[in-house]
Amino acid sequence: MASIRLKGVTRIFGSKTAVSDVSIDVADREFLVLLGPSGCGKSTLLRMLAGLESLSYGEIHLNERRVDQLPPSARDMAFVFQSYALYPHMTVRRNITFPLIMRNFKWWFHLPIIGGMAKRRIEQSPAVHDLVAKTAKILALTDMLDRFPRTLSGGQRQRVALGRAMVRQPQVFLMDEPLSNLDAKLRMSMRAEIIKLHREVGGTFVYVTHDQVEAMTMGTKIALMRDGVVQQFGTPREIYLNPANTFVARFIGTPPMNLVEARIRGANLQVGEASLELPEHLAKFAGAERAVLLGIRPNQLQIASSSGRGLAGRIALVEHVGAESVIDVHLDRAATAHLEDGEGRNEVMITVAGYSELRPGDPVNVSLDLRETVLFDPASGARMRATDAAHPG
Amino acid sequence: MIPARGAWHGFRMAGILALLGAAAFPLYWMLVTSLTPSSDLFADSARIWPKFSEVGVYADAFRTTGIARWVGNSLIVAVGTTLVSLALAIFPAYALSRFRFRGMTLVGLGLFITQMLPEAMLVVPLYAIFGDLALLNTLTGLILANVAFTVPVITWILKGAIDGVPIDIEEAARIDGCSRLDIVLAVVLPLVAPTLAAAAVIAFFHGWNEYVFAQTLISDQELRTASVGLAGFVGELSTPIHTVMAIGLMYTLPAVIFYLFVQRYVVAGMTAGGVKG
Repeated sequence: MASIRLKGVTRIFGSKTAVSDVSIDVADREFLVLLGPSGCGKSTLLRMLAGLESLSYGEIHLNERRVDQLPPSARDMAFVFQSYALYPHMTVRRNITFPLIMRNFKWWFHLPIIGGMAKRRIEQSPAVHDLVAKTAKILALTDMLDRFPRTLSGGQRQRVALGRAMVRQPQVFLMDEPLSNLDAKLRMSMRAEIIKLHREVGGTFVYVTHDQVEAMTMGTKIALMRDGVVQQFGTPREIYLNPANTFVARFIGTPPMNLVEARIRGANLQVGEASLELPEHLAKFAGAERAVLLGIRPNQLQIASSSGRGLAGRIALVEHVGAESVIDVHLDRAATAHLEDGEGRNEVMITVAGYSELRPGDPVNVSLDLRETVLFDPASGARMRATDAAHPG
Repeated sequence: MIPARGAWHGFRMAGILALLGAAAFPLYWMLVTSLTPSSDLFADSARIWPKFSEVGVYADAFRTTGIARWVGNSLIVAVGTTLVSLALAIFPAYALSRFRFRGMTLVGLGLFITQMLPEAMLVVPLYAIFGDLALLNTLTGLILANVAFTVPVITWILKGAIDGVPIDIEEAARIDGCSRLDIVLAVVLPLVAPTLAAAAVIAFFHGWNEYVFAQTLISDQELRTASVGLAGFVGELSTPIHTVMAIGLMYTLPAVIFYLFVQRYVVAGMTAGGVKG
């Protein structure tokens, strides 16, 4: 049983704080995904867990036992590298067996002939042999055990790296973007394999990725990081439905959540030219006039070609994805707050089912479904909570 | 126009044969000369084919000169230089490649500078020091003197190779339970094996060919190396040319055999497949 507790974990490189005051509790058998853009500190955090990087401040506990001062091998954690990091001079079998050989290592294993014999003895002992055979079977590597890594494809090498982690039967699996070197199709199947592995092997997984689709599909918990700070920690559903701030809102979901400038006026929400009644879950924010950002997912916007009770706009771009189409609409009278777009583009993304016949330049009307929307404070970018309602700005 | 594949191949083979000939011809000439009777040595037309009836000159040289002992001494010096140099160079090379420490550049530079000093300049101070340490007239002393010259070169060569070993592989080994020493011996060394073999060649030939120290530090006839022994035949008045050539060939052969043995380890591409890209 492996629960992980991070307490105020901080790592400072010179003048740069790579990881800042991270405190997270991960329960046993959880699949935690550390998610964020490159350079956000997620890999550094994982390396600190593994013991490859030291902590500037803070503590790491594994099952109530403090481990941050222990060397990597004493932490009972296995690590899968983005680059696979296989031993090129060893066969697949020896690569997988290596952690087990190291467990019983004596200094004289370094001697040329005697050491080789000793290592082979461990490799051929029934317990080790069966474990390797079982692991190879799970990972479909049985036919490749006597080959060298250079003769394997990327996906096969990654499976060998997984096998090397599995035979240790560790309490914790740490994975640093293990799928990012694979092509899209292989990534899908390996993703499924890792989820299956988590279900079958048990153990607690910590998985680093910058791919939010991987995070949403694999994780039971996600910690979304930016600039070394955890922006939000929760289940994928929580993070998707209730993003803590505009960064989380824009990072999770493809296409990302739209942020539209709006104003609260009494019990109504004024968005561009439209004035809509605040839905039930936002009714607590009713009150004096104040500016807010309306966070609304692309599937909560609908396109009506005729004029109606919506926002007037013009089609900017249509992307056909297959089962659905993604349509960019330039709004005539409402402003968006998408930092990465720069000012004045005022485009929202809308997903519609099937193949859309709309063309760029067509005038349209966008209607809003406010049932699962979120309100953000325009100054701080944080999601507005019930307590904010008492202090209208 | 691009030459046809066959023509290009022939052109390349011709080039390789020319280079091979340039390297092998002196050896062949030694063989021919050693098997030429003294009376024909200064004939107007040079002999092209060896006269195998003269092969007795080898047996004579073997019997009458100390060649067997000299080659034996050379072998001890060369193998000793190789083993000690490799053992001493591996760890500083790893440290220079992987650790960041104060004065690192200085250490690296210092290793380099020792390469710029000519052996002849160091002979006198070494002689004095070895005299105090009772290392004069010993093969151990000669090995140490050679090692002083090979270790810096080999350290630099090995450092370059270790730089090329992906750090991920070492970190994987750390997680799998390796200590630093285990990492160097079980993971890094096998991956730099080709460079290690190349370094062994450098050290071996340095010890095998070295003349200045062998001549100065060794005075005992019994401890002479082949390089010194061979030079001893070049007399002021006469030089027994075919004996010298015979001995020279016997001196060259073990080195060639060593090289043939080692060169199959000098293959590139060992690290291929360990990490992506």
